[in-house]
Amino acid sequence: MSEVLLHAEKIDKNFGVTHAIDHVTLDFYKGEIHALIGENGSGKSTFTSCLTGIYHKDTGKFTLNGREVNARNQVDGNYQGVAIIVQEIGTLSGLSVAENIFLGKEDEFTKCGVKNTNAMNKKAQELLDSYGFGYIKAGNLIDKYNFEDRKLIEIVKATHFKPQILVVDETTTALGEKGRKELFKVMKETKDDGRCVIFISHDLDEVIEQSDSISVLRDGVYIDTVKSSEVTTDDLKKLMVGREMSNNYYRTDYGEKVSDEVVLKGEHLTVPGEIKDFNIELHKGEIIGIGGLSECGMHEVGKALFGASYYREGSVTLSDGTRINDIKTAIDHSIAYASKDRDNESLVINDTIQDNICLPSIEDLKKNHILFGKDQKAFAEKFAKQMSTKMEGVHQFMSALSGGNKQKVVLARWIGKDSDIVILDSPTRGIDVKVKADIYQMMDTMRKNGKSIIMISEEISELLGMADRIIIMKNGRQSGEFKRSEDLKDTDLIANMV
Amino acid sequence: MENEKKISVPFMERPIVRNVMPFAGFMFIVVLFAILTQGRLYTVGNLKLLLSQSYVLLIACVGVFMVMTMGGLDFSQGSMLGVCSVVVCYLSNYNIILAILCGVITGGLIGLINGFFNVKRKITSFIVTICNMYLFRGVVAYATTKTPVYGVSNITSYNTLGFNLTFTILILVAAFFAFQYTGLGNRLKAIGAGETAARFAGVRVEKTKMLVYMAAGMITGLAAFINSIKVGSVTSTAGNQLETQIMIALVLGGMPVNGGAKVKFYNIILGALTYKILTAGLVMMKIEPKTQQLIMGIVFLVMVAVFADRKTGMIVK
Repeated sequence: MSEVLLHAEKIDKNFGVTHAIDHVTLDFYKGEIHALIGENGSGKSTFTSCLTGIYHKDTGKFTLNGREVNARNQVDGNYQGVAIIVQEIGTLSGLSVAENIFLGKEDEFTKCGVKNTNAMNKKAQELLDSYGFGYIKAGNLIDKYNFEDRKLIEIVKATHFKPQILVVDETTTALGEKGRKELFKVMKETKDDGRCVIFISHDLDEVIEQSDSISVLRDGVYIDTVKSSEVTTDDLKKLMVGREMSNNYYRTDYGEKVSDEVVLKGEHLTVPGEIKDFNIELHKGEIIGIGGLSECGMHEVGKALFGASYYREGSVTLSDGTRINDIKTAIDHSIAYASKDRDNESLVINDTIQDNICLPSIEDLKKNHILFGKDQKAFAEKFAKQMSTKMEGVHQFMSALSGGNKQKVVLARWIGKDSDIVILDSPTRGIDVKVKADIYQMMDTMRKNGKSIIMISEEISELLGMADRIIIMKNGRQSGEFKRSEDLKDTDLIANMV
Repeated sequence: MENEKKISVPFMERPIVRNVMPFAGFMFIVVLFAILTQGRLYTVGNLKLLLSQSYVLLIACVGVFMVMTMGGLDFSQGSMLGVCSVVVCYLSNYNIILAILCGVITGGLIGLINGFFNVKRKITSFIVTICNMYLFRGVVAYATTKTPVYGVSNITSYNTLGFNLTFTILILVAAFFAFQYTGLGNRLKAIGAGETAARFAGVRVEKTKMLVYMAAGMITGLAAFINSIKVGSVTSTAGNQLETQIMIALVLGGMPVNGGAKVKFYNIILGALTYKILTAGLVMMKIEPKTQQLIMGIVFLVMVAVFADRKTGMIVK
């Protein structure tokens, strides 16, 4: 390959007790798409965040074209030739499209202290047109556009000034087909221009397809760099985890009879702006998968069934006739819900593992109406260990745990509560293969023990692999239903989504 | 992050610091004023006086402690104490039990007003309780325009060390039990640390908040009773600045000003005692009131900065 563009020398970063990246030394070459992979918490995002000025590295040195890069913030990073497109939403509501694109660079359009809005809008519109996103109007408030369009605007924001290094941090999970295509086009242009893209993704097939070389991080330590053309996904998994992974981690049974007993029934569920007249019947020991595009309303279905939606119409009824209209009633009647928004809804992030596991079960833990600390501790320890949560102890705060371990605590909480009906929204979102396998295993065990599961997921392979029945949603309504079968293909599902 | 290698934690972030600092601060203040007043602060007479001045603060701290645990604030406590004291003193002329009861109910009602505007109208507790601080200060001023409201002539006969101490300890024990052994503390901490997540874990957030604001008012009603038997009457300044005293005391006791998972029940007792020794010591050293205020301000600011739980953020609910 050609010459080195960016050299990272012994980059090191700690977050409190966690050693996020451990003296990583890496080279990135001109004209390549360089993927960075690793399990959750392996330090990929931390590494690129240090480069682009989102975090500040503790020690080490980045050298770009022979000049040291030391970004104090993202805008400063842009001026030094590095840019990033982040995983979550990276644009600000309440500002116009143009203001977002030139955020922090308003000075370029300012004369004598007065901002020339027209010039800024004009420039922004030219940029949007050149990317082929002409239908987005630079003068409009960004709030007018949906998640996907806002991601496209972010692409323009991060790349219009032709940065030497473009970091794409798990952006593809948030994008639909069209957005992905646009993103890959921009990545390819950057590469052909002799610059470099650092590409972070959990989707290993996508990684191999898109990148030229792949570097693997594990527990903050640099492991190896391989050529994309010479590896398979299994090789990568092995590098990431450090041991062999079994190829098939979904359940393997087909054609098992599901019980006729209905445990939960949702009728005519409507939540304004989210779902319209949605019906569902969950049977004992059944896993129902709900899939669709991320805006299709499927995430709201979970909330609606759990009694957590605002302004919900229709009814949710249990087999004994109990109506579920609020969260407390739902939990008291053995319904569990793990939200997609793990840090805000599933977990009290600034609280301990123990408190998080015990919170829904406090009443059950009382002895003669008295709640003892030691019972809480024992309870939390039992279920945290059962889920093999990596921790120093149950007194540890949630905020110190990685995504996968947080999810384990969420599941430990509901297993501890022994809920019969479990609603899991994106249970494996942003979680590495090892923990994923654990979660699928757990779901299979629960199913066999007569628990019923609703799994809402954006991953089609997960739906095909785990669900007895798959409901596909589109624009807030059910658009298709499929029975579990070996012959079912992802294309069948996708056809009903779009 | 999967790798939990042990490396140095910033000194101030260590749990041990948060747990030890308030005790160390208490000891420091005890010893400091022992030296500065050449031991005069700790004569039996002075200690009795110190204790007699601490009951109201100790009791009132209990309610605010609960409010602050769930991330709220209550600035209306001083005015609340004033209004409740007016009710207690006025009714004590008829029946002392009725007086206590109505004092508690009055406090509860004011607490409910705080709760209503905070929970139902979604106004931050900071704003709501400051408004109510002015509102009820006005009510006290009305009631005491011409003359102070006098209690029944023998009301001060209750003011004995034994009665006050038993009364205060009973309240503290009851509150401690409720906080620690009924799950109330767990729920309040969860609300303080993450309201949405608490809701999704089955905590009835709105109801709990209303109840806690009401309870804080009721407890202050009890404090008003102790205040009344000590003074025997109410003037327009009754309970003035109690709210700031409470807040300084709790923070001195090691309470994070934004509540959450790191609050401890002992913050109340340790804080109230530290505060009272500090003020008594300053008075005994004949430091001018304005200088005292200056010193308290600085102490408050430093302690808030030390004990705030930065991870929870400075969001006051």
